[in-house]
Amino acid sequence: MSFEAAAVLYEMIYLDNAATTRPDEEAVGEALRFLREDFFNPSALYKESFAVHKRLDAARKNILSHVADPAQFELVFTSCGSEADNQALFSGARRGNFVTTEGEHAAIYQSAQELSRRGIDVRFAKLDRFGRADEADVLRLVDEKTSLVSVIHVNNETGAVNDVARLAAKVKEKNPRALFHADGVQAFGKIPFRLTKNIDFYSVSAHKIGGVRGAGALIRGKSKNLFPHIFGGGQENGLRSGTENTFAIMQFEAAAKKKFAALAADLERVRGYNLYFRENLDRELFAVISAEDASPYILSVSARGLRGEVLLHMLDDEGVLVGTGSACSSKNRYSRVILACGADEKTADGVLRISFSRENTIAECERAVRIINACAKNLAERTK
Amino acid sequence: MNGQREKVVIVRYCEIHLKGKNRGYFEQIFMNNLEKALAGIRHEIRRPSGRYVVENFDADMTDEIEERVRKVFGVHTVSVGTKVRADMDEIFDEILRIAPEKGTFKIETNRADKHFPLDSMQVNAQIGGRLLNAKPALKVDVHAPDTVLHVDIRENGTALVFKGIVKGAGGMPVGTAGKGMLLLSGGIDSPVAGYMIAKRGMTLECLHFHSYPYTNMQAREKVEELARILSGYTGGLNLHVVSVTHIQEEIHKKCPEEMMITLLRRFMMRIAERLCEASGAQCIVTGESLGQVASQTIEGMTSSNAVVKNVPVLRPLVGFDKTEIIEKAREIGTYETSVLPYEDCCTVFLPKHPLIRPDLAKVEKAESALDVEGLLAEALSGEEILRL
Repeated sequence: MSFEAAAVLYEMIYLDNAATTRPDEEAVGEALRFLREDFFNPSALYKESFAVHKRLDAARKNILSHVADPAQFELVFTSCGSEADNQALFSGARRGNFVTTEGEHAAIYQSAQELSRRGIDVRFAKLDRFGRADEADVLRLVDEKTSLVSVIHVNNETGAVNDVARLAAKVKEKNPRALFHADGVQAFGKIPFRLTKNIDFYSVSAHKIGGVRGAGALIRGKSKNLFPHIFGGGQENGLRSGTENTFAIMQFEAAAKKKFAALAADLERVRGYNLYFRENLDRELFAVISAEDASPYILSVSARGLRGEVLLHMLDDEGVLVGTGSACSSKNRYSRVILACGADEKTADGVLRISFSRENTIAECERAVRIINACAKNLAERTK
Repeated sequence: MNGQREKVVIVRYCEIHLKGKNRGYFEQIFMNNLEKALAGIRHEIRRPSGRYVVENFDADMTDEIEERVRKVFGVHTVSVGTKVRADMDEIFDEILRIAPEKGTFKIETNRADKHFPLDSMQVNAQIGGRLLNAKPALKVDVHAPDTVLHVDIRENGTALVFKGIVKGAGGMPVGTAGKGMLLLSGGIDSPVAGYMIAKRGMTLECLHFHSYPYTNMQAREKVEELARILSGYTGGLNLHVVSVTHIQEEIHKKCPEEMMITLLRRFMMRIAERLCEASGAQCIVTGESLGQVASQTIEGMTSSNAVVKNVPVLRPLVGFDKTEIIEKAREIGTYETSVLPYEDCCTVFLPKHPLIRPDLAKVEKAESALDVEGLLAEALSGEEILRL
């Protein structure tokens, strides 16, 4: 393929950080001893294990403290954000109805489908054109029989930010017994936020902020009812059995510490990248889908009339890695979320998701924009 | 007395006996294919009259050997048996071991060693009689027994004892019927077409067209996997991969939208014919089934056939229903891979209303807008070949 030679000349530019980030090297270094020397099962009874157990509880508190008051909240380690979402839903929505939005990650959306199959009344609130949940619609769907409400904090496709604290407060006004969950995977460590008392459950994941895969967590308000999703040896106070992934958790702790320390500075930097893309992507070819006030970490654009996945392959050959809202497969060709924003099929077909991290540079962004514009122009001409 | 016992796999072939003077040639190729199928497993294959016997292998490998041998084209039936000394007591011990406890049976003896003191009827009677005494719930039924217990007395002082005969893949040994170029799309049909033609003894080369970046790497992977599954039946094959991206773009730009597939198929056929020449293949094989999709009408086939000058185009599935093809795909193990949802090159630039009955004259006129030779040369220059 003719592009391959060019790709070798330059460094690869990774702009798919909402999918996963490169694990933070320092954090990996700090945690490695839990793979090598301190590999002990934290539940065993010798002192070596107990030391690991104590270290694990310290990590639990440290990670939690970044977004919540440990006096009010607890943290249950899971294997990933999806598991945390699943546990919150299958634990919280056991009767009556479950209210969520059309803008949820698949971990919520598919769980909701399953709840529906199990006889729970599942209600989806509408989105605005940026992918934000329609607050009035959420509240309209909540009634006295609502057992759980789940709203994504930062939409993983458009970056739209939902004010989950305000929403949770309004939900509780209408039904104080309803539980409120938010999927915070794309918000945690990226946008400033503290959990309020109205938020009962909050899912986070390590690998979106420099952590490795294999660690996630479900944060819950103390005394809020939570049932286990995995049964077994009774780890995590019986809420999540399975031997703890100490390496991934310690690496998560170290990566989160670094990320939260630089949260404000990173946000400014990434905002600059986002703005550069918004101003310099060819307006003839691209329309921006993400709202101005969306999380700057995610920028969704559409090369209307072109196919996002084809563009993705061309960019890949040029060394620019991005995500897409659509897939060439006949199933799930269009992103459910982008369609729920009211986009037509042509717009949905051409979606690219560009997502940043602190590791990107403005020079990378400049080159990436040039390449993206050139590839889109090339494709538009080839398929005209 | 157990010291002499050894597992063997008995392989019977089909149709080769029809081949008169060519028989030696067919048998040699069949033997080679069996050896290829068993590559990596310690074994020996002997050929007493009318069958092949795999022996001298590790008893743990018996199932694996049976499974591999069954898939070889030309294999009619397979039996797993035990080799014992040609001695009535030893033969009976083995028969006793494998005989069921109840139901009907018969003993069927084949005496290749005419020096053996008893003839086959006498062996049947003696062994059968002793078995009836040993297992009183058994009954003899020589017409429609539940179980047939076989005794095969060979020239070298040994006997093969076995029950149960499993059907093999059938067909003719691959390599006895020339070589074909199979168009392998990634769909359900083409691997089945390849299987059927290989079953008649044809060696295969596969040809896949892709349209990167309009198609993705997963689509390509999928085709490689299909070719790999097919190669299990053919004893290895070559997969040729050719990009038709630029051809599709040119058709898209310069020709009527509804002719995309008609014209693309003509290019594919031309490329296939040229690769036939280059690789020594004597025909093109496709998975087309009459009327299945717009391009598989008789008019569609006429239009794509028109560019093939020197080799026949074989369409082994032409008269099959989709459901029949799917059934076969499941049987040969390609279905699960074929239904993975990745696009092959045909669905990119897919016209809303493809031409169902293309008129050859109009197609040729539309095609005259293209630099056919230039595009062919460009496509062929990027050919990749994978050996599977």
